[in-house]
Amino acid sequence: MDRERAVSVSEAMAAAKRALEKITLTVVGEVSEFSDKPGYRAAYFTVADRDASMSCLMWRDAYLASGVTLRCGMLVEMTGQFSAYAPKGRMQFVVRRLALAGEGKLRLQVAETARRLEAEGLLRDDRKRSLPEYPMRIGVVTSPRGKAVHDVIRTLARRYPVAEVLVAGVTVEGTDAVPAILEGLTAVAQARADVVLLVRGGGSYEDLMPFNDERLARAIAASPVPVVSGIGHEPDTTITDFVADVRASTPTAAAEASTPAVSELAGRLEKLSRLLGRALEHRVRNAEHRVRLLSTRPLFCEPDTLLGQAGQAVDNAARALGRAIPVGLARDAARLSYAEEGLMRAGPRIVERPADAIARLAGRLNDLSPLAILGRGYAVCFAADGSTVVRSVSEVSVGEVVEVRVHDGRLGCIVERIEEGR
Amino acid sequence: MIMEAASRPSPEEMAFGEALSELEAIVASLEGGQLELEESLARYERGVALLRALQAKLADAQQKVTTLIGELETESADDA
Repeated sequence: MDRERAVSVSEAMAAAKRALEKITLTVVGEVSEFSDKPGYRAAYFTVADRDASMSCLMWRDAYLASGVTLRCGMLVEMTGQFSAYAPKGRMQFVVRRLALAGEGKLRLQVAETARRLEAEGLLRDDRKRSLPEYPMRIGVVTSPRGKAVHDVIRTLARRYPVAEVLVAGVTVEGTDAVPAILEGLTAVAQARADVVLLVRGGGSYEDLMPFNDERLARAIAASPVPVVSGIGHEPDTTITDFVADVRASTPTAAAEASTPAVSELAGRLEKLSRLLGRALEHRVRNAEHRVRLLSTRPLFCEPDTLLGQAGQAVDNAARALGRAIPVGLARDAARLSYAEEGLMRAGPRIVERPADAIARLAGRLNDLSPLAILGRGYAVCFAADGSTVVRSVSEVSVGEVVEVRVHDGRLGCIVERIEEGR
Repeated sequence: MIMEAASRPSPEEMAFGEALSELEAIVASLEGGQLELEESLARYERGVALLRALQAKLADAQQKVTTLIGELETESADDA
């Protein structure tokens, strides 16, 4: 062969280009330099790892179609071919397809899921439930290994040993994690937990990926028991945190958020004890006051007055009765003896009395006699028959004989004239 | 709420939260001052019993941990 024949630079670069373009690769690396000037026909960037770097270009149309906005530090996955740029004698990688890789890719996926869940209203605050004030059973869904579960148990024991802790120890990493966590949530709900702590210790973004799973997010939203999340460390945020009823930054913080502290409880009980005593004291004092008000009424302060009048009447009657019996007897006896005496005295008078009466009656009889009246100077005129009393001038005529009787005899008279009137 | 005396569970048998809620309801009803004196006294007695049970529970509480799934590893130095 003409191995010894020299070629031109152009020929050499053309040969290199032909050789390089046979190599199609998919490469993952971090963007270390990037320039995308509006006038350029391609985006130029450098992708590197710790030990090597390569110059890349992506034609503008393909770059815009990828939907990726390159920035330094971004982890990208790109598919393309090597090539050689003859004018500069430089090797370059021509990117045909570009996507975010690793965490970058994950973050994009997570953001996409979050957008979808948000559009459905699953992340809204108004659908989040409040936690029970005094949970009796606290469910903990987490890895049975590592620090997180013990941090939670220790915190619960310190703050609120009154509650029972129900632990579902499940795998929280890898492809099995999501079904395992879902099983754990179901198990604590079935064990009638009042609240669930869904926690795990710190890890890489990829480690936390199960907590960005859409199935898990929907299960948390549909959980019959309120969920408190405590995933990773302070700055880590997962979809689980967004959809959980309460988001705590760490497992320990989740345990604290779900429980009252025993010291607070003791203070509260003390306060209730005081209030209880005071409320009763107040109630009793109120009753006492009312009784006292009533007791000042005469009816109660001088109970005798209630029955006073009647009592007095009864007393009086009793006294009168007591007196009445002997006094009555004595009076009757006296009256009897008086009557007896009277009777004794009356005896002779009864005999004397008719004689006197007759004399008195005779006197009155005498007084009433017309003859006695005549004695006082009056006269009576009788008709000629001597027995008919002349009472009117009309009973006699002139020349008629009448008899006029006076006290001691009779006068025979003749009527000489008659005059009427008194 | 306050139930009839006969149907009330004993404070010792009640869950902490239940007993505390009842105690709070009793205090509120006593503070209302609308109860008969006898009823006030009965509720006060019940309140004291609840209070004693609650305080005893707090003082004696031992955390109970039940494992539903998996097996808890004893705590080690390495983080998960």
